Amino acid sequence: MSLLEIWVRTPAATALGWTLAHSLWEGALVALLLAAALGALRSARARYAAACVAMLALLGGFCVMFQHVSAEQRMQGAGPGLLQPAPADLGDGPMVSKVPARWRAADYLPWLAPFWMAGVLFFQLRGVASCMVARRLGRRGVCAAAGFWQERLDTFAARLRVSRPVALLESCLAEVPVVIGYVRPVILMPVGLLTGLPAAQVESILLHELAHIRRHDYLVNLLQIVVESLVFYHPAVWWISGVIRAERENCCDDVVVATQGDRLAYAAALTALEENRGVARQAVLAATGGSLVKRVRRLLVQPEGPRATLTPVFSAAILTITVTAAMAAWQTSAPPRPPAPPVPPAAIAPAAPPAPVPARLLAQAQQAAAPAPEVTPYTKWVSEDVAYIITDAERAAFKALQSNEEREHFIEQFWLRRDPTPGTVENEFKEEHYRRIAYANEHYASGIPGWKTDRGRIYITYGPPDQKESHPTPVPSEQWLYQLIAGVGTNVVIEFVDPDRTGEYRMTADPLQFALLRAPGDWPATNAATPKAGATVQPMIPGGILISVPLSDYGNHKVTVYGRVVGKERNVQVFLDSIQGPAPLYTKVVQIPAGSYRMEIVVKDTTTLTLTGDSIEFEVK
Amino acid sequence: MAEKLPRPTDAELEILTVLWSRGPTTVREVHACVCARKPTQYTTVLKMLQIMAEKGLVRRDEKQRAHIYRAAQPREWTQRQLAGDLLRRAFDGSARSLLVGALSARKASKEELSELHRLLEEYEKGTR
Repeated sequence: MSLLEIWVRTPAATALGWTLAHSLWEGALVALLLAAALGALRSARARYAAACVAMLALLGGFCVMFQHVSAEQRMQGAGPGLLQPAPADLGDGPMVSKVPARWRAADYLPWLAPFWMAGVLFFQLRGVASCMVARRLGRRGVCAAAGFWQERLDTFAARLRVSRPVALLESCLAEVPVVIGYVRPVILMPVGLLTGLPAAQVESILLHELAHIRRHDYLVNLLQIVVESLVFYHPAVWWISGVIRAERENCCDDVVVATQGDRLAYAAALTALEENRGVARQAVLAATGGSLVKRVRRLLVQPEGPRATLTPVFSAAILTITVTAAMAAWQTSAPPRPPAPPVPPAAIAPAAPPAPVPARLLAQAQQAAAPAPEVTPYTKWVSEDVAYIITDAERAAFKALQSNEEREHFIEQFWLRRDPTPGTVENEFKEEHYRRIAYANEHYASGIPGWKTDRGRIYITYGPPDQKESHPTPVPSEQWLYQLIAGVGTNVVIEFVDPDRTGEYRMTADPLQFALLRAPGDWPATNAATPKAGATVQPMIPGGILISVPLSDYGNHKVTVYGRVVGKERNVQVFLDSIQGPAPLYTKVVQIPAGSYRMEIVVKDTTTLTLTGDSIEFEVK
Repeated sequence: MAEKLPRPTDAELEILTVLWSRGPTTVREVHACVCARKPTQYTTVLKMLQIMAEKGLVRRDEKQRAHIYRAAQPREWTQRQLAGDLLRRAFDGSARSLLVGALSARKASKEELSELHRLLEEYEKGTR
């Protein structure tokens, strides 16, 4: 007992006590702001982001306040060494009766600390136990799902850009489909569900679970539990947590509807799933309001207006009470310096101008969710999924489309045109393309998504290199060798370096080569002043041409030859070669069908950096 | 008779899950499914199925030439059997906040189900 008493008298305990007291009004304020934001926000993503921001604000407020109060404590601790300065130091006659009252309140505050710690311990242990139970659930009474379903899941995962491998297991213990694990996520389906529900319904459930995985919900949920355990005493944290959980499901529902496009079928699938599970025995639980009913109503009927809940009202009450109490305490204790000076200014300052704060919070939340209304799956498809492989003509055609049906049709045709085996169900090209995207995202992500990096772009466009070399020193670099890139050339070496060691490797190719690889349509402009290279084009017998350029003038310099043969609509062939002099002649054979073409060639002396170029029109019969 | 069945071990539970998932199954199929998660000898699976048959957890179909096994009890039986199990209790309790999934851990009531059906019907009418 005395040990506890001694501990309670330490500055840490006092700081903790004050922090806890302050967090009451902080939490109430955050809840009120969130309630205001939710009243204005419609999209699930924006609401989810707002709730997450609120949760972080709660945690941040707690930590900042603790640090602030500790600093105050240290400054005061340099003085008398005890908790507070003696109350009598300024003891005027009339104040004497009031001072002990305040003094007593401040004295008891540190006693909150041990209770708080016990509570945190309890909730943390509960969290650890849940983790262990979840792990066990993922291992016990489970078996691998039929290969067909695992394959379907992998296809969906590629479509949703889930880069981690996801295992599909059937469990005899889980009653509802759940996701377990973050690093190696597992989807548990109740045994029999895969065969018991129509395939389309199973697919939509799988999509929902995959959406959870892609959104890192398991991890966010864990963090949520940590915050809950720290601020467990505040109703605001439980309310915010509930909002996050509800909006998380709504976000995943939106992903499913966006992917499958059929609200009714999805709502029916959820209902069937719920029915499959059997009816609850106790009707008492239903009084809390069925979350599934709300979700289905949101899916089918248009979003409900802001719901009035009691918690924000409750929070407002807490806010009023704590602020009043703080004010009262401050006024009665005005003459002796209050032990924790931030009470009144901190309590009043954020509360006094409430208008700008929600506005900022709103703006933040909306900003976080800004892409939601604009990024449709179709704009995303064209600007992300196929950004590197769609031709300019196709892109223009796609942008001109008006309805989603037309877009769907276009996308279908787009892949069909590229299907190497058009008669079969599989489209190997499409599968390989999405595999490359997933690979790039998994391996090349740094500050930006993997597919946007230079390495990602090259990987997605040209596939895995035939050879790869990595050098960690002096500057991290990678050399990729492609023996053949159709339309670009043979033995193409692409170098990437990471001079800042950020993990984002950049391509070092010189500007011409860069442009060539980046978009074969961007040919560097050579002007009229560029000297002639003296290239010739000769027809060869079976539908081909021989291009030759004299190189005798370059001596033993190394030259790079960039060339392309352009047909009426697009590049027929682009080539790129490096030749170490002395060499009499550069020759290149290009196989092309009959038609009229233009051959453009640029020769660069890598020593003097001079350019020569030619543009020759010719016909193949 | 079924009430007296012993509680299945973890390994037995996994094989039962395979049987509930696939229906009556040959030993080879059970083995293939178990192997998908961890490498196991064919004979181990066969031996376990024989033991489980003795215990009365699974039934062996003698009519076929291949050994075909099926679970002796429906899946719900195990759920009841394990009702006192820590895992089951915890699943209904604290773990529900940790798991993310398409449905909440709480079951829907009859009223909620009928409300769901009403919503679906209304929407269907509205779109036609």
